[in-house]
Amino acid sequence: MDAGRHPNIEVLTNSELTGLNGRAGNFRAQVRKHPRYVKEDRCTGCGQCVEDCPVVVPNEFEVGMGGRKAIYTPFAQAVPNTYIIDKDHCLNEEFLVCSNCATNCDRDAIFFDDKGEDVEIEVGAVILATGFEVYDTSAISSYGYGLYDNVLTNMELERVLNASGPTQGHIVRPSDHKPPKKIAFIQCVGSRGEGGEAGCEYCSRFCCMNAIKDCMLFKQHEPDIEELVVYYIDMRAAGKGFEEFYQRSFDMPEIKYVRGRPSKITEDPETMDLIVQVENGETGEIYHHRVDMAILSAGAVAPKSNEKLAEVLGIELDGNGFFSLDTKYGSPLHTSKEGVFVCGCAAGVNDISDSVAMASGAAAEAEGYAAKLRVEEEPVEIKELDMSGPPRIGVFLCHCGINIAGVLDVEGLKDSVANLPGVAYVENNMFLCADEGQRMMQEKIIEHNLNRVVAAACTPRTHEPIFQDSCEQIGLNPYLFEMVNVRDQCSWVHTNHPETATDKAKDLIRMGVAKARHLQPLYRSKINITQSVLVIGGGVAGMRAALDLDAQGFKVYLIEKQGRLGGMLNHLTKVYPANLSAVDLARTMVEKMKSSRVEVMTSTELNSISGFIGNFDVSTTNGDFKVGAIILATGAETYKPVDEFGYGEYDNVITNIELEGILHEAKDKIEIRGGVPETVVFIQCVGSRDPEKNAGCSRYCCPTTIKQAVRLRENGVNVVVLHRDMRTVGAKSEEHYRHARALGVKFVRYTPERLPKVIGNGKKANNVEILELALNRLLEIPTDYIVLATGMVPNQTSNSHLHEILKIPQGADGFFMERHAKLGPVETTTEGVFLAGCVSGPRDIADSIAQGSAAAAKVACFIAKDKVTLDPTTCTVDQTLCRACGQCVEICDYLAPSLTMISPGVMAAQINQALCKGCGTCASWCPTGAISSLHFTDEQINSMIDALFEEQKV
Amino acid sequence: MLPKEKREKGVLVLGGGIAGIQAALDLASSRIKVYLVERSPSLGGRMAQLDKTFPTMDCAI
Repeated sequence: MDAGRHPNIEVLTNSELTGLNGRAGNFRAQVRKHPRYVKEDRCTGCGQCVEDCPVVVPNEFEVGMGGRKAIYTPFAQAVPNTYIIDKDHCLNEEFLVCSNCATNCDRDAIFFDDKGEDVEIEVGAVILATGFEVYDTSAISSYGYGLYDNVLTNMELERVLNASGPTQGHIVRPSDHKPPKKIAFIQCVGSRGEGGEAGCEYCSRFCCMNAIKDCMLFKQHEPDIEELVVYYIDMRAAGKGFEEFYQRSFDMPEIKYVRGRPSKITEDPETMDLIVQVENGETGEIYHHRVDMAILSAGAVAPKSNEKLAEVLGIELDGNGFFSLDTKYGSPLHTSKEGVFVCGCAAGVNDISDSVAMASGAAAEAEGYAAKLRVEEEPVEIKELDMSGPPRIGVFLCHCGINIAGVLDVEGLKDSVANLPGVAYVENNMFLCADEGQRMMQEKIIEHNLNRVVAAACTPRTHEPIFQDSCEQIGLNPYLFEMVNVRDQCSWVHTNHPETATDKAKDLIRMGVAKARHLQPLYRSKINITQSVLVIGGGVAGMRAALDLDAQGFKVYLIEKQGRLGGMLNHLTKVYPANLSAVDLARTMVEKMKSSRVEVMTSTELNSISGFIGNFDVSTTNGDFKVGAIILATGAETYKPVDEFGYGEYDNVITNIELEGILHEAKDKIEIRGGVPETVVFIQCVGSRDPEKNAGCSRYCCPTTIKQAVRLRENGVNVVVLHRDMRTVGAKSEEHYRHARALGVKFVRYTPERLPKVIGNGKKANNVEILELALNRLLEIPTDYIVLATGMVPNQTSNSHLHEILKIPQGADGFFMERHAKLGPVETTTEGVFLAGCVSGPRDIADSIAQGSAAAAKVACFIAKDKVTLDPTTCTVDQTLCRACGQCVEICDYLAPSLTMISPGVMAAQINQALCKGCGTCASWCPTGAISSLHFTDEQINSMIDALFEEQKV
Repeated sequence: MLPKEKREKGVLVLGGGIAGIQAALDLASSRIKVYLVERSPSLGGRMAQLDKTFPTMDCAI
């Protein structure tokens, strides 16, 4: 986790906010650091104290399933890795004398008298990312949680499935430790209830996908599983790629989905099997399902601590205990207090990718109040050490406490290294990564004139940068450092075979030393960045991104194809959840755009873009300019029905977007195409969840239908909604759905196998025929109007045009692909190019706004610096060997190689260092060996292979 | 009581789960000082407890 190491982040754990005064831009925050009883600057995380502690208590991280000591770290990869004493369970009290941990701590890190600390911090803005707590399932007594051993929660199952969890990833049922064969998942436990014992009224959003994922993992772990049954109300696979993931689970015949909310679970006292009593929501049949294990999909609730925090901040909580939003701007990030923003689950439940986008969005909003506070990065001048002459290699062997030394024969390793060619110095160390270990390493490098360094320790993924920094600090080129992972690859994976593990470590270290003999210094280059941004698209996402970047003081160009700004907002009436007027929202944003310094170009199209991160040359129909980063916010289109449900054939069949226009025009009386409706039938999922048209769920249509249905019902219209699942996810959506039902809106389910049929004559539809599932008979619903809830599809022409220019990959659905579905929702694989809003998938207004802000934050990460540092581990061409065959140009995913004329009539490849990722694909493909991958050259790799087999020949 | 250190003005982030960490990293990369305050003894929040995440089945930690 990078947050622990970033120089601009100070992490205060075990701490809470106790006071906040001042105003946005100039807050003073008081933070109470609770005592830890272990000094963070001394503790190395060796774990000796844990062995010596006599107290065992249930482990919260393993949701009570495993044990921990009274001195502990919550989990193995915890940041910070400092231990903490749980004073409630520690035996060092006035009249108790245990101080085993303090006595045996080599570093004197234990500090029983710690009183904690109060700190005051000046801040420009505050971001609330307070998360959620898991619903206490024991509150629903009829499911027997806590009473029956084999009833688990979804969070407990996550730990059971995890290889580092309490059962090492073996799935056994708690009562008899036998692998379960039949499992029931019960959805909406604590969600979509009636309040009180029946749980919260809202939908917790993530539990449906979580259950589908756990079923698939279950099947992977236990191929012999007989049955995985999910009892659900609506399967809410509403998010990018979610519906497709749900569809994929249909390929596993063991996974079954049954509509129905079980009334109770009982236990067979002899076998400890569970009996789930449930009424099938489709057939009405009541049955008793015998299973080995039941998983309760517990929902999310607001943390209790929000109450105290709300008081400190002076912000109200909503009825559910989450922070209230200021809905004025349609933004899901603004609270009622200026300068205080929310993200993640602080203002309601969100899934991981939305939480990540909101977090970046909140960062962008906060930057608007903190842009003047940017810290200067001071360049440090270091004199480089003399690296010439034959290799003098220093090898440092880390014990990692008992992590390595507890298994490997570290003295034997030291002896085996000493005589390897080029090795000038060897030393063992308890914790090489600790400050003391690093200082020792630096001293030895200077003292023994070492010009290559090998560390045999843990994983380079987290620790290589630390060691490289230490080398660089004393003037040794960081690329003369090589790391060997003897922890993960030897002591951890072969814990029970110490001898062979030691032999393997010897091989790996010998290979590392062999490579070190051939290491060459490499130098990071820096390129200048143009500190301006191009936003393509003037809808909500694009405008939000442009406004946020402008507030941070960056030059922004926004181009819009249409004659005016606003995008989809111009076609809407009210925006849920707060029923904000779309016109007002559009007007507010457009006015802000006018008063900003953003250079807006309407009726403008993109011609071409060339260049790379930090340096893009943009050509538009309205002039050319240079930018450092690009945001694509070109939106999507609504699906256009063709010969479906009588659309185009009957005049009284319209789309939901056409209805928006009608509702927007309507004053006191609603008229649809000249008539006053008595009955309106909505048909959901038109152009969504259909592999032939658009496989994904469009997410926005269910909440939109609810909004429209309520408006019609309030005007006395009878409304019937025909749907497959009502996917009212998102802020207040479930509550609106409940309200619609209370008003008398009727909901009838259909299946894709038996679509509703529209029957009419001439130009008028009269009836909708639908198979009523519970009664298993055809119903004819007479109606005046039919509204098709059309899905969202990618804008094919504009996307393929942009794809041609920028080479951003598109998914199978035609939307642009984000860098990572969870952790990089607004980034692309092309550095310097970002996505916001519906260009990457269907989204509603609030989510699009959050994405706009998120993209702004990501752009700011780049252009807040005036230079970008390039990693030198890229590929390079020996042009004397190149015969310009062009294969590297074809194979590269990043457009880095190109053919150029190097002298009259002579072509050769060259690689743009700013675009090259150093993956080495071109180097291995190159038929003449002209390309080599720096830091992983053929010479270096071959020397490692030779070193491995050298020993075996003896 | 430990002596108070001089702290630069920045942005306060409350909560060290996936959202809080993401917000902190974005601010820090934009050269803004961040104070990341977490109630529990370590960062990570709920996501660190998960095994895999859908749809990519990446390891959650």
